[in-house]
Amino acid sequence: MLFSSISFLFYFLAGLLAVYFILPFKIKVFKKKSGEYCYFEAKNFVLLIASLLFYFYGEPIYTILMVATVLVNYIAGLLIDKFRGTVGAKIALWASVIFSLGSLGFFKYSDFFITNINAVFRSEIKLLMIALPIGISFYTFQILSYTIDVYRGQAKVQKSFIRLATYVSLFPQLIAGPIVRYTTVEEELSERKHTFENFSYGVTRFVIGLSKKVLIADTLGGLSRALMASDDKSVAMYWLYAIAITIQLYFDFSGYSDMAIGLGRIFGFEFLENFNYPFISKRVAEFWRRWHMSLGSWFRDYVYIPLGGNRVSKLRWVFNTLAVWFLTGFWHGADWTFIFWGLMFAALLMMEKFFLDKLLSKIPAVFAHIYVIFMILISFVLFHANGMSGAIADIGSMFGAGGLPLWSKETGYYLSSYAFVLIFGIVGSTPIVKRTVLKIKEHKTGKLVIDILEPIFDIVMLLVVTAYFVDGSFSPFLYFRF
Amino acid sequence: MNNKTKNIVVSSVFIAFLAFFAVMCVYSYFNPVETSTAERRPLAQFPDEITWGGIIDKTVIDEFEDYSVDQFPFREFFRSIKAKFQLNVLGLKENNGLATEDGYIVKIEQDFVDTNVNYSIGRLQNFYNKFLKDNGGDHYISLIPDKNYFLGIDYGYPSPDYAGLVDKVTEALPEMEYIDIFGSLELDDFYYTDTHWSQDKIGGVVDTLAGAMGFADRLSGNYTENKLDGFKGVYYGQSALRPDPDTLVYLTNDIINSCTVFDYEQNKTIGVYDLEKFGGSDGYDLFLSGTKPLLRIDNPNAEGDEVLVVFRDSYGSSITPLIAEAYKTVYVVDIRYIGEPTLTMYDKMNMIDFDGADVLFLYSALILNSNSFK
Repeated sequence: MLFSSISFLFYFLAGLLAVYFILPFKIKVFKKKSGEYCYFEAKNFVLLIASLLFYFYGEPIYTILMVATVLVNYIAGLLIDKFRGTVGAKIALWASVIFSLGSLGFFKYSDFFITNINAVFRSEIKLLMIALPIGISFYTFQILSYTIDVYRGQAKVQKSFIRLATYVSLFPQLIAGPIVRYTTVEEELSERKHTFENFSYGVTRFVIGLSKKVLIADTLGGLSRALMASDDKSVAMYWLYAIAITIQLYFDFSGYSDMAIGLGRIFGFEFLENFNYPFISKRVAEFWRRWHMSLGSWFRDYVYIPLGGNRVSKLRWVFNTLAVWFLTGFWHGADWTFIFWGLMFAALLMMEKFFLDKLLSKIPAVFAHIYVIFMILISFVLFHANGMSGAIADIGSMFGAGGLPLWSKETGYYLSSYAFVLIFGIVGSTPIVKRTVLKIKEHKTGKLVIDILEPIFDIVMLLVVTAYFVDGSFSPFLYFRF
Repeated sequence: MNNKTKNIVVSSVFIAFLAFFAVMCVYSYFNPVETSTAERRPLAQFPDEITWGGIIDKTVIDEFEDYSVDQFPFREFFRSIKAKFQLNVLGLKENNGLATEDGYIVKIEQDFVDTNVNYSIGRLQNFYNKFLKDNGGDHYISLIPDKNYFLGIDYGYPSPDYAGLVDKVTEALPEMEYIDIFGSLELDDFYYTDTHWSQDKIGGVVDTLAGAMGFADRLSGNYTENKLDGFKGVYYGQSALRPDPDTLVYLTNDIINSCTVFDYEQNKTIGVYDLEKFGGSDGYDLFLSGTKPLLRIDNPNAEGDEVLVVFRDSYGSSITPLIAEAYKTVYVVDIRYIGEPTLTMYDKMNMIDFDGADVLFLYSALILNSNSFK
């Protein structure tokens, strides 16, 4: 189920809110011999059932796979705790890792490996043509954070299957992140506050995310499709395409994260931020500290640091960096374009570490900023391309390959038609709007105006995005395929 | 307003919004709408049958998604909000592929769909080769540009490769003489809310055709304009912008009034103009009663015995009455609705006679590019 749909907003969410907030958090079931009461965690149970329905609606068959993954890791967690300090704990951990990554590998990468084996050995192994279970990359990493942290002693084992299943399947972040660590919501699974403050914050955050996705990302998606379908291409058109897909990707993914964070807050969970205005970065390294932060920190804590991090020899550091960015690219998709995309960032990070950082420090900040934006534009054209040959053609066209004219009539048309959306996208991807609102709120009158405008903004945006749903077409999130 | 009040207001407004529309969705379930007049299409209904198999293979879920969108309450109101936001707030030049310039609503196309165009041309070739190639008459072909042709020239919008389309058609039918009518048309010869041209504005096209086909001296050129207000063209509803309706104009004179039209499908005589059709789903069906596979127009006042076979679409319906003045008999064929076997049957029954007739293939680029020939 998509957040940006009638079925989600007016059937699923409306129904869930009604049931969820009517029920108490816990219901007394019976009194134990010890005198303590045994409770049924009604809100968690409702959330779990709703989340499974949410997933089932989009992936009926693969719901079994997700539940099986939770079950295996639940048992693994119990065994790790039971055999703590012994080889048994290690076996349980490895069983969890092999099962989880094995599922991910089988469903996501089988055909990639078969294709490459066929190409190298000229064999004719049939492709499995397996549909990728939605969100498998996200929930696999989430559940692994649980078993690994339990093994490391950084998280307590979860003895309630309902709580663990609720954590993994929690619908706000189930299918497109952010990757919520178990430790982030560990306490909230057993006790959380439901306040108007949380609800109100969650609503506005959700509406902002929904508007970013529907009004900006989807609109620019239409632009990028129109540009690629044009028979009147030009060099400028390819740059316009690069800008459009970069802003589209940011608004699509950060919009989804906003919605996930907002919905989480409505139901009493505080997820960590996933984006922090990445396009204001002056280094590629900084960009990655601001873009898809939950993925970056996951690879840092569960891959990079265990490999030795940066407290190793230069050669080993190069290997660690290449390994992490190879995996980061590969996580995004089973295609060489994603692998090269990841390795491109590895190369840039190494260059920054070895010499570029010093060089960039000596020049005006604006040039450092331009350098980052330039690299990001190139990287997202690679990311968005249809295979490596498509990537080479697209990037080549940005620099005039193929004898393209610098400008064309259709370039002018699309630039003028989408100018306002592009400007809004560029401004909206900087902290200007947020800072302005905070500045206004510093004054008593300003705060009153913002407070009055907030519910009006929410309702107007909800009406507008509903209008887009009613008139629009299917618009899946770009990150669903990851 | 303190924070607590603001938080309660925001939360309450959101819950009220969801609750209101959720209740309205329940109302829509019990009161489904069959068709959308504005969009001229049936609306999706609640899935007929909910089976386990249908849920697993997602057909039921997909049907429910379509239903939830199509049957959403206040559908036209929301479509209108979306169109206005997209055009006036986001500043885009198109909404659902429709642009508006000087009040003219135009479907913007980047290019023609090769498979559709090739198929359409293939069908024209088949009919030509089977029924007309050796009939002894003069053969002509002409293409009608869509409004987007003029937006491409005058306003910088993308427009399909019309020159390429003309080349393709003339190469496929080299025995036919191509008559260029592009120069005889302007944007304001078309209706604001519809794809079609206005019959009172195509005198230049008639003159161009008459000059090329040699019937200019057989036209009177004197017509009475008859106006019907409230013509809502195909883009009227699609645009969701509630523009002013057009005024539909049809031309009459004594010769047109005296013509009789025989409808082969219904085996009866009908009028050149069917005013009852104006009140139907498509007011342009007034001309020659809209979609008719085969008609014969007999002109009792014709001075000669000339016969014309017009292969046409709905644009042809409005221009043919003006051309009919110059011919004793005009056969009007719409091969979107008639197959070769049926036409062969009429031929064998001597109900049609194309021998020695002039032939005019007159098609709009819009129709050639659509899949309506399939």
